[in-house]
Amino acid sequence: MNAAQIRFATLWRREVNRFMKIKKQTIGAPLLETFLYISVFGAALGSRIDKLHGIDYVVFVIPGLIMMAWSINAFTNNSSSILQQKFQGAIQDQLSSPASPAELLLAFSLGGFMRGLTVAVLTFLASSLLVDLPVEHVLVLVPSLFLVGFFFSQLGVLIGVRAEQFDDVAFAQTFVLQPLIFLGGVFYSATLLPEPYETLTHFNPIFYMINLVRYGFVGFSEVSIALSLVALTAATTVLFLVNLRLFSRGYRLRA
Amino acid sequence: MARVVPRMKALEIQNLQKRYPTGVEALRGVSVGIEEGDFFGLLGPNGAGKSTLIHCATGLAQPTGGSIEIFGHDAIDRYAEARQAVGLAPQEPNLDWFLTVEETLDYHAGYFGMPRRERRERTKELLETFSLTEKRTERTRTLSGGMKRRLILARAMMHRPRLLILDEPTAGVDVELRLELWHYVQKINQEGTTILLTTHYLEEAEQLCDRIAFIAEGQIVAEGSSAELAERFEVPNLEDAYLALVGRKELSRSHIELAGEVEA
Repeated sequence: MNAAQIRFATLWRREVNRFMKIKKQTIGAPLLETFLYISVFGAALGSRIDKLHGIDYVVFVIPGLIMMAWSINAFTNNSSSILQQKFQGAIQDQLSSPASPAELLLAFSLGGFMRGLTVAVLTFLASSLLVDLPVEHVLVLVPSLFLVGFFFSQLGVLIGVRAEQFDDVAFAQTFVLQPLIFLGGVFYSATLLPEPYETLTHFNPIFYMINLVRYGFVGFSEVSIALSLVALTAATTVLFLVNLRLFSRGYRLRA
Repeated sequence: MARVVPRMKALEIQNLQKRYPTGVEALRGVSVGIEEGDFFGLLGPNGAGKSTLIHCATGLAQPTGGSIEIFGHDAIDRYAEARQAVGLAPQEPNLDWFLTVEETLDYHAGYFGMPRRERRERTKELLETFSLTEKRTERTRTLSGGMKRRLILARAMMHRPRLLILDEPTAGVDVELRLELWHYVQKINQEGTTILLTTHYLEEAEQLCDRIAFIAEGQIVAEGSSAELAERFEVPNLEDAYLALVGRKELSRSHIELAGEVEA
């Protein structure tokens, strides 16, 4: 490996090492939470709910839960990691190294991406033991999950860089992200909603992400897959470019 | 007649300016040069601009004007080469709470592109040098203040920087560590490492530094050897020169001793 590769690998390793050192909190807790959702909404309520669009309710819900686990963990990891390091001043060690803004941004992004991926894969494996979860369109599922993970990693970085106190991160997660995810159709189909809520759901970007992932697993979607993929790719690219600009300027990182 | 070969500039700062978004003008046209192999002291009262100058040189702050070159590399346009040459031991402890002592050194060296085997050997060497071997598996947040300071110094040395910047390294440390540090930095300076030291302990600067600059209100107001500065301010020593600079001549020890003699 050359010096740049060693540098990038170390920056990335630091991010993975951080969440692995507190894995009860970063991996165990989200897994338990997802398992509880599956138990309550799938096993308990699901037995009393008819099929949704011809799909067992528990199978309908699990793709959304996998997407939710990936997105929230990617977001939380990056926003917390950056803010913590800003508080400790430890980020100075990386900022005063020869690492470029792009290297720093990608390493921070990949930390959350890896945590989201770990929780999502474990959720998938655990769910597969409980129910027969199909994978209908792997060529849609893999890029969709990749884009969702990268989008929320970028969003976590953005919030972490902008945040000046832990309240800022908590606000973004509790008052913006979680309502959007819950109202994006993880637990229901938008077609079941009365107007104007059904129409309003279509203005929620996370609705499209959930549909992409659900389509990948069970082959059902309420939106255009091609359009959703293009929009998600565009949104992820824009977010990455915004973050790259912030890192290049040293926004709230360098005095 | 022997020809004097000019030494390379380790740090060349020209007309450096830094205005924070709050409007505070921390540096107002600082120009200073440190030659390779120098042991250079930067002295000044709190808020004079010492740390801001250091942060500008290491990429932690962005200058609003002027230029900084480190071993000929522009600190902005050629930041990778410039930062590779610098090791920084900051004034405030900035250790990563999640890492152990050993990981702190290993990760730092990794950020500077050092291969694994070299990192391992260097980590072992510096853990021994700074008496940290027994603490190597402990998380940094459990260390005492003195141990944290040792680790910060070891970390700054980890990638073998050609220019070592020590921002008040002995503030709040015990006598033993202070003397250990003095011996160590003198040794590496003799081996060729250029050192920039900021300190409030004037006897430290007097003993260690070849050249000293006084900074006040964001400007370099005097520069020279300890003796030259004393001569310039027409006082017997560096401490009195400093007191003259900050306008507190009445605090001179000679006044206190004189007063004591009168009372006796």
